[in-house]
Formats: sequence, structure tokens, C-alpha cells
Amino acid sequence: MNLQSHARRQFLGNVVSGLAGIGLLDLLGSPAANRGFAADLGNESAGGQVLPHHAAKAKRVLQIFCPGAASHMDLWEHKPMLEKMNGQPMPGEENLVSFQGKNGNLMQSPWPFKPSGQSGKAISTMLPHMATHVDDIAFIHSMHSKTNTHGPGCIFMNTGHDSEGFPGAGSWVSYALGSENENLPAYVAIPDIRGEPPNGKANWSNGFLPAKYQAITLSDQLPIRNLARPESIDAATDQDTRQFLQRMNRRFAASNPAESELQARVDAYSLAARMQLSAPEVSGLESESGETHRLYGTGDSNELKAAYARNCLLARRLLERGVRYVNLYCASRASGVDGLLNWDAHKTLKADYERHCPVFDQPTAALLTDLKRTGLLDDTLVLWTTEFGRMPTHQEGTVGRDHNPDGFTCWMMGAGVKGGVSYGATDEFGRRAEQNPTTVWDFYATVLHLLGYDHEKLTWYHNGLDRRLTDVHGNLIKAIVA
Amino acid sequence: MNQSLLWCFVSLALVLGNAFPTLAVDFENDVAPILAEHCLRCHRPGNAKGDLSLETDQQLRDSEFVIGGDADSSHLVSLITAAEGETPEMPAEGKPLSSQQVKLIRDWVNEGASWPDGFRLQQRTKADADWWAFQPLRVDPDTSLDELIDRRLGETDLSRNPTADRHQLIRRVTFDLIGLPPTPEEIDAFVNDPAPDAYEHLIDRLLASPHYGERWGRHWLDVIRFGESNGFERNVLINNLWPFRDYVIRSLNEDKPFNQLIREHLAGDVLEPNEPDVVIGSAFLVAGPYDDVGNQDAVQAAQIRANTIDEMIRSSSEAFLGLTIGCARCHDHKFDPIKQDDYYSLYSTFAGTVHGDEVWATPSERQAHHDKSQPLHQQVASLEKQLRDLDDAIKQRESESANPITDQESKQRDEWKKQLDQVRQQLSQIPALPRAWLGRHDANRAKGPFHVFLGGSPQKPGEIVTTQSLVAMSTSDDQHEPSCASIAYSLSGDASESERRLAFANWVTDSQNPLTLRVLANRLWHYHFGTGIVATPSDFGYMGERPSHPELLDFLATQLRDHGWRIKPMHKLIMMSQTYRQSASFNADAAAMDADDRLLWRFPPQRLSAEAIRDSMLQLSGVWRRESILPRDDTSVSLQTESAVPSGGPGFRLYQFMQDNVCTYVPLDQHGPETYRRAVYHQNARASVVDLMTDFDQPDCAFGTPRRSETTTPLQALTMLNHSFTLDMSQAMATRLAKASDQVSDQVDLAYRGAFSRKPDDEERADCVSFIEQHGLAAFCRALLNASELIYVQ
Repeated sequence: MNLQSHARRQFLGNVVSGLAGIGLLDLLGSPAANRGFAADLGNESAGGQVLPHHAAKAKRVLQIFCPGAASHMDLWEHKPMLEKMNGQPMPGEENLVSFQGKNGNLMQSPWPFKPSGQSGKAISTMLPHMATHVDDIAFIHSMHSKTNTHGPGCIFMNTGHDSEGFPGAGSWVSYALGSENENLPAYVAIPDIRGEPPNGKANWSNGFLPAKYQAITLSDQLPIRNLARPESIDAATDQDTRQFLQRMNRRFAASNPAESELQARVDAYSLAARMQLSAPEVSGLESESGETHRLYGTGDSNELKAAYARNCLLARRLLERGVRYVNLYCASRASGVDGLLNWDAHKTLKADYERHCPVFDQPTAALLTDLKRTGLLDDTLVLWTTEFGRMPTHQEGTVGRDHNPDGFTCWMMGAGVKGGVSYGATDEFGRRAEQNPTTVWDFYATVLHLLGYDHEKLTWYHNGLDRRLTDVHGNLIKAIVA
Repeated sequence: MNQSLLWCFVSLALVLGNAFPTLAVDFENDVAPILAEHCLRCHRPGNAKGDLSLETDQQLRDSEFVIGGDADSSHLVSLITAAEGETPEMPAEGKPLSSQQVKLIRDWVNEGASWPDGFRLQQRTKADADWWAFQPLRVDPDTSLDELIDRRLGETDLSRNPTADRHQLIRRVTFDLIGLPPTPEEIDAFVNDPAPDAYEHLIDRLLASPHYGERWGRHWLDVIRFGESNGFERNVLINNLWPFRDYVIRSLNEDKPFNQLIREHLAGDVLEPNEPDVVIGSAFLVAGPYDDVGNQDAVQAAQIRANTIDEMIRSSSEAFLGLTIGCARCHDHKFDPIKQDDYYSLYSTFAGTVHGDEVWATPSERQAHHDKSQPLHQQVASLEKQLRDLDDAIKQRESESANPITDQESKQRDEWKKQLDQVRQQLSQIPALPRAWLGRHDANRAKGPFHVFLGGSPQKPGEIVTTQSLVAMSTSDDQHEPSCASIAYSLSGDASESERRLAFANWVTDSQNPLTLRVLANRLWHYHFGTGIVATPSDFGYMGERPSHPELLDFLATQLRDHGWRIKPMHKLIMMSQTYRQSASFNADAAAMDADDRLLWRFPPQRLSAEAIRDSMLQLSGVWRRESILPRDDTSVSLQTESAVPSGGPGFRLYQFMQDNVCTYVPLDQHGPETYRRAVYHQNARASVVDLMTDFDQPDCAFGTPRRSETTTPLQALTMLNHSFTLDMSQAMATRLAKASDQVSDQVDLAYRGAFSRKPDDEERADCVSFIEQHGLAAFCRALLNASELIYVQ
């Protein structure tokens, strides 16, 4: 996209493309300036749609998502009171009924917490590799959600809305910033080898944003769909067919020079051809050194860990090549057995997390180390998210914890984020966000701020409203911005 | 900055500008808007937090919140003021008032805090009851569609293009009405038809085609967010909602009046409970997504139920009324004259509706089933009783005798057991009555009184609401006389669930309701021209676009009303116009004035929808299967009954469906012949990406989609070039061409005519022939199916 067209859109907004006749502007007499709108059929395959509102700290985002509601008090937020009052009723909520039913007494975390780094931040000893990064992380311990159900919770965390049909943060960022690398998609979702997260593809949906802002799903185990030339067609025929097709399409475009879509379509086929070359290259993990593979643990005997490690390495390669938004999942949807495939430890917390933490810990820490040592972290924003937290009590008759939408932890790291910071807190048991309660909208207001956008100005008209990633809420979390 | 803030600042700037010359504060223009915008939502009758209502000044004065002439002692002022770097106590939600706003309020208090007698503070919306869309239809009876278009063009010194040529016309109208390309035979017949009314005949033929309903039914299914899985976490496929899809297709083919169709959507089960073909219409209410995960937390469960009803409110108000009533869930609508009471009036209307399947049969089918099964049920009951009695008798004897059962009794028992098995066997062989996803209407759930939920929370019931028509369209005041005050309704608290839905259905579809007619007329225009007269077809409120041709919209709405809400005559009216028939040729001068062609100086070229692209591929390759392909051996299809739509019945799937605790949809790499049906028969699950369909902007059906995006992406190219479906279609098309002729140049001509509705020129033909000679027909067809010209219509 050239500067001129960018400036024009900025001036007229993206509804009004060139109405110059006197008296015509009143045709569209509604407040249309700077609104995204379905009539915007912009064909720029790469450029963003919205000029930044201020200088950006981050150019791209890595969002790691641990679905199943990863327990804040067993991973990130130390609650000494749970150790003191282990086995006693939770004061004031002795008869608590939550998602799956009745709760028992308070239950301490099965693992000790240990201070690390210069900040002395204590996290679970189940995460020894992650402990090496605490000085670079800004923990937000006071997150709370609207819903206690996984599916709506996951999409709420990803789209700012707890019902389906809204664009994921990655789609918003693609819409705002466009692609940094024309030969790769702007937004990639990397599902876990165990499957999709709760609510599946709605987590990385483009919602009502045009399809060009959709996520491409890609993982080490799952190549981009339809990327490869069909086996039944040899390379020479394929090449000639594309050239023949492009001749046909160029002729049609030339005879209709005013229809910019037709030229865009010619360009899209060229871009697809370049993607066919770039995407296999980016997935070629074998070109990485043995040291890097060992760092991530890609050859680990734990197959789940090795698979996730390979996806972590893939994430770095995507970011390195200019993908704007990478959505990396560690764990999947719910299975018939709670806590088996994801972090949903209803009944057997210890056994479940002794399965999940080793999968998560080393590869994630390696990815952060790698981002640091390659300098990528300077302009990459890293997010760690889950859909909600867990109860300080055990579920009646079990040694697990039920859903807790009222308090949980997420964190940020990297470009523009203060390190070694813990913002907000739940109460002494971990039951409710108490100090600086923070919403998903606050979280994304901050993400967009770091990317150069005012979250209230990044909008798209849909069914009666100029929709935002942050709905009608959101305040910048100043305390964690460097 | 969001719109409301922007407008707040704009109005503030105006306020300041007005106030400047005298330095005196004008309460009504300066202060009241601030209080209304920032305070009133939580301090008003019905939601008087801290027992304070600002509707009048009485409580403000009584409680010394405001002491005229003394701002420093007035509590209100201290609440909205804070020390540097701190946040004032009020407003409790939202941003603090600006320093100018605080100063205005201080000055107003210091100047005596005058409050005009009888002044009631009200939240102002951008659109009032005199909003254009609510007004009666205004029509010049002597006008015509073309005249209304030409008038606007003339005002800008523009004029319409000349008529398109016949090749373009038949391609345009065929795609428009049936969503398929014209066949070479159809093209020849039309192009060579000497009759003066050849074009009219063409329109009539297409309107009578059974494929018309498949094309326009799909449009309607978009509008009403029809989808066949429940969405959310479990996202389970719904296998017996397809009769609703077939009902829509059939209704369109029959040209059922749309007021009737909409009435059936809202209350078909009430209108004709014994008529399955009408009852199925009300499946509309439960055709949206809903959360069915069991939740033991009572607060969360109540919220989920409220969300489910919210989905019905939004879907119906946007689809039928073009109003975003859903925006009034937590507070009065910010832009449109829709009160929270209006929202909860609809809440009471849909409160009894529950998702699920129900028996779907005529009374005689039910009777026949009853007649067959009832005697058998009776036999079962009596055999069971006999066995029980015998067992009881034996049990009594157990204490007395070591051998309580006689041989005869033992035999008898075996005999009865055998009989019981036989009868049960007979019972199981009676086919169950068919069940369809009709939803249930539970009168008990719908018992009032219903309350406004403050802030949208079921935990905060506010005032009791009355079930009634939209207030702004029902009451008159000094300024305006609503066009449809005469059809307003207000029901008593003990009105039944079905009465409420019926009252709403009748009000929406009354010919005196200008909104429904305008919205529907605009949708027709939107699909014919690619953009509606109102470019936001489901939003006729302030945030929507204004009509480009208000008189034309009213003209069409009136025509629709006068044609008894039938839309086939409307298609004909629109398509017979010169405006529709003009060519799509570009005109740089006109574009300089009106780049978006909103004035219609040319026919706007359009890209085909995802469905039309796939359907065209099926037609060109000759593999399209027009009959229903019932997978009789597929046990996952729970409803296997004949459909009234010959090509209908259970939908096909372009994904593999996997279900454990939740469901996963994996797109298929191979599309077998069972998928060679029109895309409208695809079982569209929510949040299930399906290659071609999604790449070409088929919307996820989480919401109604009044207008689809049209994007161009490299993913489209990858799918269209490499998915095996394209290869299969290319191969089939090649076989077909080879059968038709053994001359390569003839094959090229035939392919061009089928795909592009024209013959190739010499240069094109030569290029194609040489390519085919080198790489074969299938490779040629693969390229052709990827051609831009196939998917653009001029």
C-alpha cells in the first residue's frame, strides 16, 4: 500500500472512498470517520488498515494460552495463608457452590513456592525453568472473568466477548497493523498436539472482520491446509497452469482496469505462490542447531513435551520472519476425564499438574530465552493467558479445585513491559481479585497501547455498534508499562 | 475515541461556545446533558443507587447534595472533584468528568443552582421518536423506480449507463435469482429470442425455478443466523434442524408473503399448532447458538439463561426490525430511542422458549402412532402387573415354604415373560414419531412478573416491565405522532407465553409498521445491487447508515406492502427497471464524483458468494446432484423423513465430525459425491472452518449477517488451486468437454460459454488451445475454475 492511499483513508475514513460531489457526503450522514466497515473491500494484501495512534513499543505479539483454567495459586501467585489454614473451612464461604457443585475446605498447593531472581518473585517449584525469567515478567495477579465456563471463558480471554462471533485479538492486530512479511500470514494459531482448545476455532476467528484477517492454523504437527501442490500434478504442469491462469486473469483485469479487485486477485495468486515457498521454510525446524533443539527439549522422551517444544520453536521462527500475532496453545479442549488433556484439575490436581507442568515449563522458558538472545524480545510482546483461575478450596470429595472466575493470573513480558513486577493481587486465599482488579479489557487495552493503538479508536462497525476488542470497557494498566 | 465520547466532546464544545459570551451557566443546555450522560444511569427512578435520583432536583436539595450559591458545601461538587492525581468518587463507573465539566457544575451551583419547574432529566439519545425510520411511509404515487434514481443522479449531473448486452444480462440475472451461471443453451435461447419481452420471460422463468428458493433462501438464512450446531464449548451438531432450512427454501419458492413467514418464525406453533409445515417456522427462535454446559453455580446459570434469551432478542429485532434492541440490555440504548423497558418487554416475550427437539407431526400422524402403540403399551402394563402379582404371591409364601413356587406358576411366569418380550419387540418396531429442532415453549418459565435487570444482571431486578410494543413507536407526544400508534399493544401481566409472542409477531408484521417493510425492501435491494439503500441492512438506527434514496426506499416498501408482502413481484419490479438493466461499464468522470456508485450510475459489479462459486463448479463439471442424497445408513442423522424440497433433507458435511466431551470439526481433504449438492444444503456448524466456503467469506453463523464481506486473499488461491475438490471438478469438467466435442477449439468455446457466458476471442482461444495441447484438458479446467472472470458478475 502506498502512502497516498493510506493518507486518503485516514482522511476520509474507510467507508467513504472518494465521494467528492457536493451534497453527496450527506448521503452517508452518520459518524463514519475512521470506522471499519464491511463496505471496506480494501485489497491491500499486506498493509494495515489503521494508522497507529501513538509510537509503538511492540511490533508483534506472542500469546501463549494454557486452556483449562491454569491454577493461579499453584503456579504463579503464592498464598502462604493456604498453607496455614490447610484443611480448614474458607471463612465466609463455608458453603460455596461453584461450577461443578459443592466445595470442601481450603487446600494448600501440593508444591512449595521458591523465590527467584533479583526480584525474589516466588513461583511454584513445579516451574524451575520459568523461574529464571521472573525478573522480566509483569505478573497480573488480579484478573477476573465474566464466566466460569471454559468455552466462553477462552473466547472471552481471546476476543473480549464471552459469546461467539467476535474477532480474536490477533485478527484485530492484523486489521490494525497488517503483515510484516508479505509471504507469510499475519496471524497464526498453533493448536496443541492434543487438539483444539475449548470452543475450538472460535478462539482465533476473524469474527465479523473480513476473512483476510483470519488466523492460519499451523503447527509442527499440522501443515497449512492446501499449501502443497497436489501430488497428482507434476511441478512443470503446475507452473505452466499458474502462468496460464495469470495470463487469463491479467487479461480480464486489463479489460476492466477500474476494478481493483481484479488486480488484487492476480496479486493474491502471486502471494500464494510465494507463501508456498516461505511456509515450508519456516516450518523447517531441522535447520536449527542441536543446541537450540536441546534448549527447547524437542527430542524429549515425553512426547507431549517434545511436540509442544517443537511448536515453541516454530513460534520463534514465525515471529522472526515477521508474523504479527502468534497464538500458541499448551493443552487442548476438555476430555471425558477432567484435567487429562488440559489444565482443568477438578479432582486430581497433583497428578494433573505433574503431567502438564513438565510439558509447559522447559519449552516455554526456552522460547523466552531464545527471544531474548536473538533480540526479538525488544519489539515482541509476550502474553501468557488462561481463561480463569481455580478455587482455594478442594472440590468436595476430591483433591482437585473447581473453576474460579473471580481471580486468576495472566502475565506480560517483552517490548514496553516492566520486568519483575507483580501487579494486583487476590485476597489472602486466592479466592477473589482484591487489589487492583483487572479485566480482560484492561489487559487488551494495554496490549493495544503497546502496539501503538488507543483501544477506544480501533473500531469496526458491526450490527449497530462500532465494535472494539475491549467492548465498551478497558483501562490501560500503567503500572506495568515501562 | 468511541462515538459516544466523541459526541460528548462535540456537544461539550458547542455548550462552551454558547456559554462563552455571557459567562452564565445555562442549566438545560450546559449542566443537564452532563448529569444525564454521566450520572443518570445509576441515579434515576428504578435504579436510584445511594437512594438518589437525579430525575428532578428534589432529592438533590433535600439531601443537601446541592446548596444553591455554595458549591464548596455542596456534596455533589465534592463527589465529582478529586485532588491532583486521584480519582474522584463519582462517577463510580466510567471516566471522571473533565475539569471544564466540573467547573460548569460548580458555576451552576454558585449561581444558585436553578432547575426549571417541572424539568425532568432524561437520557438523550441521538435518535428520537421522530427518527426517520419510524415515520409513516411517504410515497409519491406517480413516481417510478428509475425516476427516483435518475433524480438523484441528475442532481449531481450524472446519468445512468446504457443497457447491458444480452450476454451480460442473462449472466447477471441468472446468478442473481438462482445463484448459478446460465448454460450455453440458455444463453443461446435468450440472445436469439426475437420477442420484445424476451427479458421479461427470462425473469419469469428464473423466478419459477426451484433453484430460486435455494439462492434467496440462503440470503435469508444469513439474516436470521441459521446454523446447525449449538456453538459454545460443546458445539454439538444439530441433526434435525434441516427441516427449517427446507421450510425457508420452500416458502420462498412458493412466494409466501413475508409477513406470514415472519409471523411463523415468531409464533408458528401458536398460529397453527396442528400444521407441522407452519410449526417448523418457529424453529427460527432456537436456530441460534446457546450455551448448554451444565453449571451448578446458580448465579452463572441465571446469567447463561439470560444470554440465551438475549440471543433471541437480538436476532429477531435485527432481522425483522433493523433495530439493535440488544444494546438496551444493560441501560437505555445510547443512540436510538429504545428503552431498557423495551428490551425486557421482549425478554418476557421469549422467556418461555427453550432449545431442544420436539415431536414434529400432524395430529393424524400422532393419532395413528397412538392407535398403534397404545394397545401394546396396555398389554405391557397388564403383563407387568400379572408378573408382579405372581412374584408378590410367591414372596409371601417364601417364609412358609421351602419351595414356594409351583411348576405351573413357573411355567406361567416364563410364558408371560415371553409374551412381554414379544410385545416390547412389537413396540420397538413402530417407527417413532419424527422429532425436529423446534424448541419448547414452557409456560411455567414464562410466568411473570418480569423485571428490568439493572446493568443487565439477573441478580439485580429493577422495576416490573410491561409486555408491550416498542415505546417510541407506540406513544405520541407533542412533537410527533407515531405512524403505528394504532397498532400498539400492551398486555396484562397474566398474558400467556403464546399471547406475548403472537402480539409481538402481529405487531412486527402489521402493514402499518413502516420499519419492517422498509427493512425488508432494503434487503431485497441490497442483494440485487450489492449495497442497500441503507448500507447497514440490520441497523436502521443512528449508528447505521442513512438511506441514499429515502423516497425510493419508501416507494419500494409501499410496493411490497401493496403486493401483499410477496417478494417475487418485487424482484420483477426491480429487475425490469432500467437502473438494474444498465451496463456495469466504468465511467471515470462519474467515479470521480461517486466512487462507491451509491447513486447507481452503473450496475455495480459483484463477486460471487462462496456458495455460488462452489455451485458453479458443480454445474460446470456436470456432477451436480439435484436429488436429495439421504444417507440412510447414517445413524447420526436422527430425522430421516421425506423433505418437501426435492434436493433437501439432511445436510452434507465438508468436515469430519468428532465428539467426545466436546466436538471437533476437521475439514475434509476429499469431498465425495455425497457432497455434490448445492452449498445451501451443507450442514453449517458454528465455528467450523471449511476451506472454500470460509475463504470466500461465508460467515460464521454466530450472528445474523446482513451483509457479507468480500475479501481477496492468498488462502483462496491455495484452496482453489490445490484442494482435491478443484482437481475432481476439473477432471469431471474435462471428461464432459471431451464428450461434447473432439475438437480442442470447440472444447475451449464450450468451456468459456459455460464459465464466462461468452465465447473466447481469437487470441484467448489460441492461448487455450496451445495450453491444452501441452498439458491436457483437466489442467485447462483447473485454471478456468480459478479464473477471476468466473467469480465476478458485471
